[in-house]
Amino acid sequence: MGSPILGEPVLRLIDLHRTFDGVVALDGVSFEVPEGRIVGFVGRNGSGKTTTMRIALGVLQADAGTVLWRDRPVDGVVRRRFGYMPEERGLYPKMRVHEQLVYLARLRGTPKDVARSRATDLLEVLEVVGDPKARMETLSLGNQQRVQLAAALVHRPDVLVLDEPFSGLDPVGVDVLAGVLRSEASERDVPVVFSSHQLELVERLCDEVVLIDRGRVVARGTIAELRAMRARNLWRVHVPSAGDAWWDVVPGVTLAGRDDGAVVLELDGAADPQRLLDLARAEGDVVDFGPVRPTLSELFREVIAE
Amino acid sequence: MTPDRAPTDRGTWRLVARRDFWVRLRERSFLVSTLINVAVISILVLARASNLATAGPSYDLGYVGSSAIASTAARLGADANVRIEIHELPDVAAADAALGDGSVDAVIVGDQLRGLHDVPDPLISLVQGSARDVAVTAILDEHHVSQAERDAANDPNPLALTALDPAPPSRKDNAAVAFIGVLLLYGQLFGYGIWVASGVIEEKASRVVEMLLSAIRAKQLLLGKIVGIGVLGILQLLFISGFALTLAFATGALPFDRTPFGAVGLVIGWFILGFAFYATLFAAAGSLVTRMEELQNVIVPINLTILVSFFISIGAVQDPNGRLQVIASLLPVSSALAMPVRIVLGAAPAWQIALSLALLIGSTILLVPLAARLYSGAVLRTRGRVKIREAWRSAA
Repeated sequence: MGSPILGEPVLRLIDLHRTFDGVVALDGVSFEVPEGRIVGFVGRNGSGKTTTMRIALGVLQADAGTVLWRDRPVDGVVRRRFGYMPEERGLYPKMRVHEQLVYLARLRGTPKDVARSRATDLLEVLEVVGDPKARMETLSLGNQQRVQLAAALVHRPDVLVLDEPFSGLDPVGVDVLAGVLRSEASERDVPVVFSSHQLELVERLCDEVVLIDRGRVVARGTIAELRAMRARNLWRVHVPSAGDAWWDVVPGVTLAGRDDGAVVLELDGAADPQRLLDLARAEGDVVDFGPVRPTLSELFREVIAE
Repeated sequence: MTPDRAPTDRGTWRLVARRDFWVRLRERSFLVSTLINVAVISILVLARASNLATAGPSYDLGYVGSSAIASTAARLGADANVRIEIHELPDVAAADAALGDGSVDAVIVGDQLRGLHDVPDPLISLVQGSARDVAVTAILDEHHVSQAERDAANDPNPLALTALDPAPPSRKDNAAVAFIGVLLLYGQLFGYGIWVASGVIEEKASRVVEMLLSAIRAKQLLLGKIVGIGVLGILQLLFISGFALTLAFATGALPFDRTPFGAVGLVIGWFILGFAFYATLFAAAGSLVTRMEELQNVIVPINLTILVSFFISIGAVQDPNGRLQVIASLLPVSSALAMPVRIVLGAAPAWQIALSLALLIGSTILLVPLAARLYSGAVLRTRGRVKIREAWRSAA
C-alpha cells in the first residue's frame, strides 16, 4: 500500500474557514497532499468535504485561509492545471460525448488535436460503452459517471481533486477507476485527493487519510499511523475447548468482546501477548490467535464518537 | 510536466462563444424564428408595395349629353391624383343600366349627378367643382374675359406652401423603414436576450457550470455566451435585412437609394449596443434561478422595460420629436430601440445621438462587472432561487 518514500507535499490547504449564512462549514481545515500520493478525504455528510474541495478548486472563496500549490497561492493560472470532479455531476446533456471532452480540455488550454486524441484514449481506458458521437444524455448513468471522470483527466492535470468519484459506479467501474487513479499517482506523480463514503475502498486505495468532522480535521495520516494512534491493543483468541475467564490470571488483560466462539481481549501496555498465548495453549488447541486490526470504518466511528 | 498549457484563461471566451453559436444555430427555434421574421417582413413589404401600386382611387364617370363637366372633372381628378375615366352614354335608360351593372360609379344627367346607392365622396367633390368651373367659364365667356386674367384666377395653387420645420421629403419611406427596423430590433433584443438567460439556466440546471468555472473565470464564460449568441443574432439580422431589402427593391416598395442600407447599418449597430446592455441583465437574472420554469419570474422587469421601449419607439415613428420619444432615445434602458427610429427619420440632432451612445456604452461598461459578480455569486447555488443580495455577497 503506497510507496515507502513520501513525496513532497505539493498541494497545501492551510487553515480554511468558511461560513454560509451564519452556519460554520469549515472551521480551520488544514492538510496537505504529497506528490504522487492518493489521499482519501473522509467525513460524514455535511462535514465540510465538498466545501473544502470547492475552495481548493477556487470555485468557492474561503472566508480565511489559503491554498498553496508548490508554495504559491492557487490562482487562475494554477487552477487550470487541476482536474476536478464536482460532487454535483454535470456535463452538457445534449452535447456529444467526445466533442464535450475536447471542449473542456480546450477550455483549459489543451490544443485541439491533442485534446481529440486524448479524449478518444480516455473513453477507451475508462471503458465507456457507447458511441463517442452519442449525446451525453443517451448514456447510462454509470457511463456518464465515467465520462465525468474523463472530463477531469482529459487535460492531463497536475493534481486531481475528486468529490465522491466512486459513488454510482458498479464494481467493475470501481476497479477501473481505482486503476486509473493509481496509475495517475504512480506513473505521472499526480497527487490525488478524493472523498468517499466507501471506507474499505479508501483503505484499499489511499496512502493517507484525512478525517473531517464538523468542519475540522480530526485525524490524518497513513492507515498504519491512524491505527497506531487510535487503536486499542486487541487480540482475538479462539480455543474451542477453553473454559471461561481463563485469561484473568494475566495482569492487564480484559475482555473486550466475543466473536463467533472466540474472545477479543484488550491488553494494556504491560501485558505480554506471548504469555497469553502460553496460557491459551494450556487450555487446549488454539485455532486462532492474532492481533485485531481495526478497519478504517471502525477507526472513523471511534474518532467521530469523541 | 506536460507542455500543453495555455497559462491563462484569457481568450477562452472565444471557445465559449463558438460553442454557444453553433449550439443555437442548430436549434430548431433558430430556424423557426428566422422563418417567422421572413414571413412577417414579407407581409409588410408586399402590403406596402401593393399600396403604392394602387396609389390614389380611380372611378368611372358616365355622362349623357354634353361632355364638358365630365372631362373637366377628369382633368381636375388628374391634378388631385384621382383617376377618372369618362364614358359617353346615349340616354338615361342606358345610364341607369350602366349604374346597375356597376360599369360606372356615377352618371351626369343634365343637372343631376346620379349614383346607384350613393356616389363616392372624392367623385362628388370633383364633379361638383367641375360643374362650378364649367358654369364660371360660361360667365367668363359671356363677359369676354381675357385668357391671362382667367389663368390668374384659375391658378390651381394660389397659396404657396411653407412649413416652419419642414420634414425631409423622404420621411414617409423612411418611416416604413424605421417601423420594420424597430420591429426587427425588438424581436432580436428580446429573443436573443431570452436565449442568453436560458443558456445560463441550462448550464446551472445541468450542473456543468461547476466544471466550467473550475477551468475559466465567470467573466470569460459570461462574455463568451453573450458574444456567441449575439453574433448569431447579428447574422440573422443581416440575413433578414438582406431578404427584406431585396424584396422591397424588387417589388418597388422602397426606392433604391441609400436610406434603407443606412437603416440596416443602424439596426445592426444599435442591436450590438442594445444587446450588450440587455444580455448582461438577462444573464444575471438567469443565474438567480435553477429551473427553466422560473425564468419568466426573474425576467419580468427586463421584459417590461423592453416592451415599453418598443411601444415608445413605435410612437416615435409617428412623432419622432415628442418629449417622451426624445427622453426614451437618450436613456440607456430604451435608447437602443428609440434612437435608431429617430435617426432614420432624420429627427435626432448629433449631440443627442452622441449623448445616447455615451450613456448606453458607459452604462454597459458599468453593468458588466456588476452582472458578472451577481452571476458568479449565484451560478453555483443550485438549490432554489437565489436572492440578489445573497448572490452579491457570496461572490465577495
